[in-house]
Amino acid sequence: MSEMWRLLRPDAVMALEDPKILSSMPRYVGILKGRFLPRFMVSRYVPVNWDLESSEGELWELHNRSLVEMESLMRDLDSGKIGHKEIGEPPERSLLHLKAKIGESLMAPCRLCERRCGADRLRGELGFCRVGREFKAHSCFDHMGEEPEVVPSFTVYG
Amino acid sequence: MRSGRISLGCNFACIHCQNWEISQQFVDGEIYREREIAALIDDAKRRGCRNQNWVGGDPIPHIPFWLRVLLLETEGMPVFFNTNGYYSAEASSLLRGVVDIYKIDFKYGSDRCAEKISDVSNYWTVLTRNLRGAKQHGELLIRVLVLPGHIDCCLRRILSFISEELGPETRVNLMDQYSPHWKASELPELRRRLNSAEWGKALRLASEAGMRNVIL
Repeated sequence: MSEMWRLLRPDAVMALEDPKILSSMPRYVGILKGRFLPRFMVSRYVPVNWDLESSEGELWELHNRSLVEMESLMRDLDSGKIGHKEIGEPPERSLLHLKAKIGESLMAPCRLCERRCGADRLRGELGFCRVGREFKAHSCFDHMGEEPEVVPSFTVYG
Repeated sequence: MRSGRISLGCNFACIHCQNWEISQQFVDGEIYREREIAALIDDAKRRGCRNQNWVGGDPIPHIPFWLRVLLLETEGMPVFFNTNGYYSAEASSLLRGVVDIYKIDFKYGSDRCAEKISDVSNYWTVLTRNLRGAKQHGELLIRVLVLPGHIDCCLRRILSFISEELGPETRVNLMDQYSPHWKASELPELRRRLNSAEWGKALRLASEAGMRNVIL
């Protein structure tokens, strides 16, 4: 790709200074300028521990408490109250790990979309959307055709 | 990575789908391991891509996979969730604290049209709930593809909801490029492109709704 996109989409180069974009997605622009961390990176710094025997309800309770913690950490990082270098190493098990664990349980019976078709995708059963257990992709590429603030966008059709 | 017969899968079945070959049936494609996708995403960040854009079909059925991919990424590229917005409350909780930009296609102003064109029920309640949540827990970009014959039943209500409930400063990409694909000929109004009178009316409705951040 190199810097070709700058020629293809001059509007995209200017986008990060556009007042309409700055006002509707200030945090995203801040991430691109290196001031803020993407949300998932912050979630990786929130330590969470759960028992193997925890029920789904208990995992959700833990999740929701940790999410409040994550949002408070994000505010402190964004405001500079905590420096990016002061947060240290991510813990072995974090809010993001817990999300991945709960995500898997939402696949069987599947309740990810509002159809709630209930397919047991972990056993390979296909519901309305026909997505099974594995991740399958048709293509991925640097997309130049999205909104100016979005391109170049690493897009995964899968 | 290995090859196989795949369907990207979608929780909608829009009769005018422009990606129907990959969303509504099986084609040849790649089966990835999490580690492989994570490495591709990290490379993309290093060469200057601005975000990881999760598309489908729709990315909703793939959320558990994406969460595992994120655990393996090291570069920290913002997450752009490119969706039809029809996700459950549980999925919404998992996305909170993960998604930086919610790009939601707001397609219908009436449940009857949603049922008829995309085969989904209770559309309005689900979409408006998730749009409010997206604004609260992330940053929001809404795409509205104007459908021929659906100005009064759909577009009018979509724009007034955005303006009144989400705010006139909401960033909206209003799109006039509808063209019939897949089984669009099954519905008389979807057999043709948008005409200039309809597009003129769409622009007028956006301006009457007071929208201040429309991409045309």
